[in-house]
Amino acid sequence: MTTVAIVGSGISGLSTAVSLAEKGIRSVVLSPFPSERSQSVMAAGGINAVDEHDPLDSIEAHIEDTLSGGRYLAGYDAVKGLCSAAPGIIAQLERAGTVFTRNAQGGIDRRAFGGQRYKRTCYSGTATGKQIVSALVMACRRYEALGLIERRQWSDFHSALIKDGHCYGILVFDESTRELYPLYADAVVMAAGGQNALFGKTTGSTVCDGYAAGRLFMQGADLKNLEFIQYHPTTLETPQKKMLVSEAARGEGGRLFYEKAGRRIYFMEERYGDKGNLMPRDVISREMAGISEQVYLDVSFLGKDIIEHRLPEVQELCRKYRGIDITEEPIPVTPSVHFFMGGLAVDLNHETNIRELFAVGECASIYHGANRLGGNSLLAALYSGHTAAEAIAGRSYTGTHPDLTAYVSSEQEKLSQSFASESRFPVMYIRDLLAEHMQKQLGIVREKETLLDGIRDIEFYLDSVDRIHYDSSVLAYFNYSLKGLLVLAKATLLCAEARRESRGAHNRSDYPEEDPQMNCATIISYEDGAYRIHYDREGRYEH
Amino acid sequence: MNIKIKRQRYPGAESYWQTFVYTGSPENTVAGVLDELNYKDDITDINGEAAPRISWECSCLQGVCGACAMVINGKPALACETFVKDCRGETMTIEPLHKFPVIADLVVDRSVIQKNLRESGSYIKQYMNPEPEEYEHQYSTARCLKCGLCLEICPNYADGSRFYGEVFANDCYAIASKSGKDEVMTEAYDKHFAAGCSKSLSCMDVCPMRIPTLASMAKLNRGLKGGSGK
Ligand SMILES: Cc1cc2nc3c(=O)[nH]c(=O)nc-3n(C[C@H](O)[C@H](O)[C@H](O)COP(=O)(O)OP(=O)(O)OC[C@H]3O[C@@H](n4cnc5c(N)ncnc54)[C@H](O)[C@@H]3O)c2cc1C
Ligand code: FES
Repeated sequence: MTTVAIVGSGISGLSTAVSLAEKGIRSVVLSPFPSERSQSVMAAGGINAVDEHDPLDSIEAHIEDTLSGGRYLAGYDAVKGLCSAAPGIIAQLERAGTVFTRNAQGGIDRRAFGGQRYKRTCYSGTATGKQIVSALVMACRRYEALGLIERRQWSDFHSALIKDGHCYGILVFDESTRELYPLYADAVVMAAGGQNALFGKTTGSTVCDGYAAGRLFMQGADLKNLEFIQYHPTTLETPQKKMLVSEAARGEGGRLFYEKAGRRIYFMEERYGDKGNLMPRDVISREMAGISEQVYLDVSFLGKDIIEHRLPEVQELCRKYRGIDITEEPIPVTPSVHFFMGGLAVDLNHETNIRELFAVGECASIYHGANRLGGNSLLAALYSGHTAAEAIAGRSYTGTHPDLTAYVSSEQEKLSQSFASESRFPVMYIRDLLAEHMQKQLGIVREKETLLDGIRDIEFYLDSVDRIHYDSSVLAYFNYSLKGLLVLAKATLLCAEARRESRGAHNRSDYPEEDPQMNCATIISYEDGAYRIHYDREGRYEH
Repeated sequence: MNIKIKRQRYPGAESYWQTFVYTGSPENTVAGVLDELNYKDDITDINGEAAPRISWECSCLQGVCGACAMVINGKPALACETFVKDCRGETMTIEPLHKFPVIADLVVDRSVIQKNLRESGSYIKQYMNPEPEEYEHQYSTARCLKCGLCLEICPNYADGSRFYGEVFANDCYAIASKSGKDEVMTEAYDKHFAAGCSKSLSCMDVCPMRIPTLASMAKLNRGLKGGSGK
């Protein structure tokens, strides 16, 4: 019987597992914590799908908005697949028990989101991601009862079992038994989320770190578009993190401004007209980077009623963490790292350049080009799971694998040796320093000198990472993941330095214009310590 | 402020108390305090002794994932939405949830919650369109974080071997309201919830999502046997 290993239990991992099970294919879903703790539960705003009864909107319009929002870096065929599948995905979610918010006619309500011409963002109260996770977890239980899905907790990805460009499974570290064991599988699907830890605290989950992408890169997987990092323009600073103020606030009519000489300057409206506040995130964050005054988001004029009914989570967040009453006063906002358009390079089947190694959800790079539209990533997480499952179901597997025991035992040996080298060298402290460098050198606007400084800084840590002793006071995972993170950080800085133009979320003060020659994806690969960048002009991955 | 933490290095190890000094902002949450204590080059306790980093679980840091459930000043709560300024006294005590096995310090193994839901067959067997008047309560129950705070406070919940607690009752409702008649679930609800609940309702006081579990119970007891089939 075919067995698939899925790394990650957020929406994309669950979507893959359920789609496989529907086709009678067994999977093992691995993650350190259950789905309820994944970043997917944080998605509040919504998921895009054209309302087929809307006389104005169309699938073509959704495709065009997605492509233009991503500054034409994503492939047409890929985006067409995504947008065309969206209405069916919503219907399927409903059948799985997701309760979407209704309009007066009893249909699914849709709200306006940035960079989209029509209202096409479906939502579920203030907790769209959570409602979808709850429904998918329940669907998983059905297939668990049939023996088609197995969910394992306390399981961290260590590395893939790869030979001659073919993946045969993964090495899993079990935090509860402290064991590193091989899990052989006919196919492996990576669903490990974004690369948040590179930047310390982002709007998202502290569990998403990017290690899996870094490690697979070192094992031969291509990475793509790493320089495209989305800064969300509206986040609220609190002592513990920057919290997202949902785009729904601007969708409902919220206005951005700053004050100068006692006057409110509605800078987005002045520059872009009526729809200024609903421009794509990259555009607003770039504008904000050039403003030295505190920027505010005002929703107070919408009135208590609309705020309480349509934006209760924004109201609660601001009240709880900053004591701000948004019905009375504007919200001070700053941009923060929010989403990674880059990640593992995958083709239209969601397969990487390593055979039988797939990637889905935020850890895969596809559909979003140089900037993602709000509401498109939940859609991509679900659609990519279906697509990978479809591709796997269409293949026949022998269930055999070559002898990989030499690799397995050498990695086990390395890990147990590091366990023996007890020291209190602060692994977490280096993680923090890494984040500080990345925040500084990969801000909204970049330039050559700071990027080169960043590369030198990371190289300094990389030089000593193999000599760092084991810190037994933190999880083993934090110890062995450090090198993968540093390698990923260096690859990201190299891609940002190499792309000498400004496009979407990548802004270069030394190259402020978009270069028409550069409308192709950046691919970076790794061989024996050497990083190689090329541009995918042929559309090898996405077309 | 002194922060007194119940510590345990690994599963089965002896537990002990260790006190740290926190000098940061009272606007911070307990999660922020733990972060601040941990992320220094070296950490030392109130006596200046070197201490191992404090293990605790977090993910969202904004009260929507349930990772950081623990017992703060004797009360089960989420660390990321409990504020220093709201804690009275000179010393704040922090302990792991008592009803689950400790993995390390404040990290506990709550997998019994998932196990009970899995083994009792808690899933929609045959989907039926729900009655629109059920939407609101369905939405509310689907917000359950599976954080375990309700089980920690419940006078009837011990270790999940017989009585499954509030978390189970809400999932039973979610299933019943979206599916056809389900004898397996009805039986499981009677055996693992109805028979053991003494209606202290303390669970509702600590639920971070404020799920009105009483409504789930009432609806189930009234014999909600499924959707409209429309
Ligand atoms: C605050 C916020 C609001 C958002 N709102 C929206 C929105 O309204 N609409 C929208 O479309 N998108 C939104 N997004 C983006 C969207 O939520 C994510 O892109 C999407 O949920 C990603 O799903 P995923 O399954 O790829 O990853 P995740 O949900 O991040 O899941 C990753 C999984 O991988 C596991 N994992 C990580 N590392 C390892 C490892 N080394 N080993 C094993 N397992 C591992 C994790 O435990 C987790 O289970 C929002 C994001 C944030 C942060
Ligand atoms: S970290 Fe998610 S609830 Fe506290």
